[in-house]
Amino acid sequence: MSRIREVLGEDPEIVLAERRYDWISKVLPKVMRGARPITLSDLLDKALLDKYLGIPIFLALWWALFRFTFDVSAPFSDLIDMFFSRLGEAVEPALGGGVLSSLIADGLLGGLGSVLVFIPPIFFLFFGLSILEDSGYLARAAFVVDKILYKLGLHGRSFIPMLLGFGCNIPGVMACRTIDREEDRLLTIIVNPLMSCSARLPVYVLISSAVLGGYAAAGIYSMYIMGIGLAIAMALLFRRVIPYFRGRRSAFIMELPLYTVPTLRSTILHMWERGVLFLKKAGTVIFIGVLVVWALSSFPWGAGLEESYIGMLGRALEPLFRPLGFDWRGAVALFFGFIAKEIVVGTFGVIFGAGGEASEEEIADVIRSENIFTPLTGYAFMAFTLIYIPCVATVGVIYRETNSWKWTLFTVLYELLLAYFTAFLIVSVGHLLGFS
Amino acid sequence: MAIRVALIGNPNVGKSLIFNNLTGGKAHVGNWPGKTVERKEGRCVYEGVEMEIIDLPGVYSLTANSIDELIARDYIVEEKPDVVVDIVDASNLERNLYLTLQLIELEANLVVALNKMDIARDMGYEIDVKALSEILGLPVVPTVATTKQGMDELKKAIIKAAQQRGRRRIRHISYGKDLEAIISTIEEILKKDRVLSSRYPTRWLAIKVLEGDEEVLRRIDRSPVKAELMEVLG
Repeated sequence: MSRIREVLGEDPEIVLAERRYDWISKVLPKVMRGARPITLSDLLDKALLDKYLGIPIFLALWWALFRFTFDVSAPFSDLIDMFFSRLGEAVEPALGGGVLSSLIADGLLGGLGSVLVFIPPIFFLFFGLSILEDSGYLARAAFVVDKILYKLGLHGRSFIPMLLGFGCNIPGVMACRTIDREEDRLLTIIVNPLMSCSARLPVYVLISSAVLGGYAAAGIYSMYIMGIGLAIAMALLFRRVIPYFRGRRSAFIMELPLYTVPTLRSTILHMWERGVLFLKKAGTVIFIGVLVVWALSSFPWGAGLEESYIGMLGRALEPLFRPLGFDWRGAVALFFGFIAKEIVVGTFGVIFGAGGEASEEEIADVIRSENIFTPLTGYAFMAFTLIYIPCVATVGVIYRETNSWKWTLFTVLYELLLAYFTAFLIVSVGHLLGFS
Repeated sequence: MAIRVALIGNPNVGKSLIFNNLTGGKAHVGNWPGKTVERKEGRCVYEGVEMEIIDLPGVYSLTANSIDELIARDYIVEEKPDVVVDIVDASNLERNLYLTLQLIELEANLVVALNKMDIARDMGYEIDVKALSEILGLPVVPTVATTKQGMDELKKAIIKAAQQRGRRRIRHISYGKDLEAIISTIEEILKKDRVLSSRYPTRWLAIKVLEGDEEVLRRIDRSPVKAELMEVLG
């Protein structure tokens, strides 16, 4: 087929499709008169799908979505934060000291409370995403990005699974079933976890509000862009390096729905369907994870935090993370983040909540005052969180969808290495540029 | 013997409405064998002629890339219905004709139902049905499924097409000199395989080979002309 491709200058499949459309556009004037009046939808498409404007508009809308998410949700988060603090203050004296009191105050209220604070941003993120989807823009975004993806050697159909990955990597990986070529499908599955799912958001919010100051929103936004960039880079790399992924891609055709004004009802319904998944996870996996962290940090009973089991684990892991500038607490948080990313925040909650109530504000204060992260290492920590293994559940789904331990293990390993390498690069380059 | 009629068209062209208009809404609903895609069948009697009508999945194209497209195309290629009615959205001719061209390639015995004529008119289009019919080399019947306009004409056209089956010349579109040369080279080789060329239109096979259609390539895999073909393809 390569000789024919040379003669035609392009993939025969594409040339055939083009010639069919050429034929149609030559015939149309002969059988049809009158022009369709230009609708608002056409005008919008002219701008939103423009060769040069399309991408900047996409990025601007994405940025607006994040500002909306964080600015609007902040007061709600503060309310939940306050509620858990007050509850902790009220409950602890009533229970007296001892194991039970610590379990409830530090473990449950401290750990779970610090995760539940993120209900508002997650719901608002889904609210905004639902508006973009229901209005018809998200399909256009797929179209705009597809052009780039195709040039980069990725498949156009990969975009929707990648987009879903922003919500949660599990449906993202599962949506790869719509990709018909096995090689394209597998490639999309193994880079999907690089899309920043909503579970990473709490980590970004916590760390960036603690150490990035006025640049917090930009720092969070950059994580999403970094995820996209790395996913593309990895896909390109794997296509080049791994023989299995070489080969041709098939074309991408999709119908663009008409623009509509989204109704509040359907937007809220969409938001609820997705947001509730987070609540369920908080009630199960995160709940158990946080209890494990509490137990490890409280025993041997009476010992200080640094002498507890979690302290020992942290000390053991610390040398590994030293070059990245993370201390034993960061190491432990990342370790437990393997179960689910929300537990990273929950772990900080339990560790710093040793005094009883740990509000988001207070965790951030501790991070600052104890110098756990500098702006630079904090940013590296966020990047590490973005890149390494999403969560146990995603690993399970990757195995189920690829039906191969080899590729599952490969995904876990390359992500760990990439996370480490990227964080190291951020810290090193940052130091060279004079950041601390 | 009842005339076997298959309905095909892009999604949202009013295919289900036309199916209901033709069958009176009485349909036998099941699944395509081994698939989760719905299969609807109904009957229609017009002027003493009986028609068995089957509703194919709504598709934009006839590649091997999706289950819907494969089902539609396999039905036409393997079951060879007497007449295939291609329902075309008159308000969106450009996109809809793409499927029509592929159906011509499949050498299906086609009748075009030009539906949504009312909407096309409201949008300010004026369509020359006769010219379209001449250019395509196919009977074209304007319809408005929502008000059941053109249904009798459609039934008449189906019966007429069934009677003329195999006697109509198919007007293929030209893909341009460079591509036509390649297509006819491949076609000539394929014609040497008697089994293959008696079952499928060779021009269609050649185009699909060129497109790298996995389904068709699999069928050619066992053919004695495979080696020769591979040599041409390079």
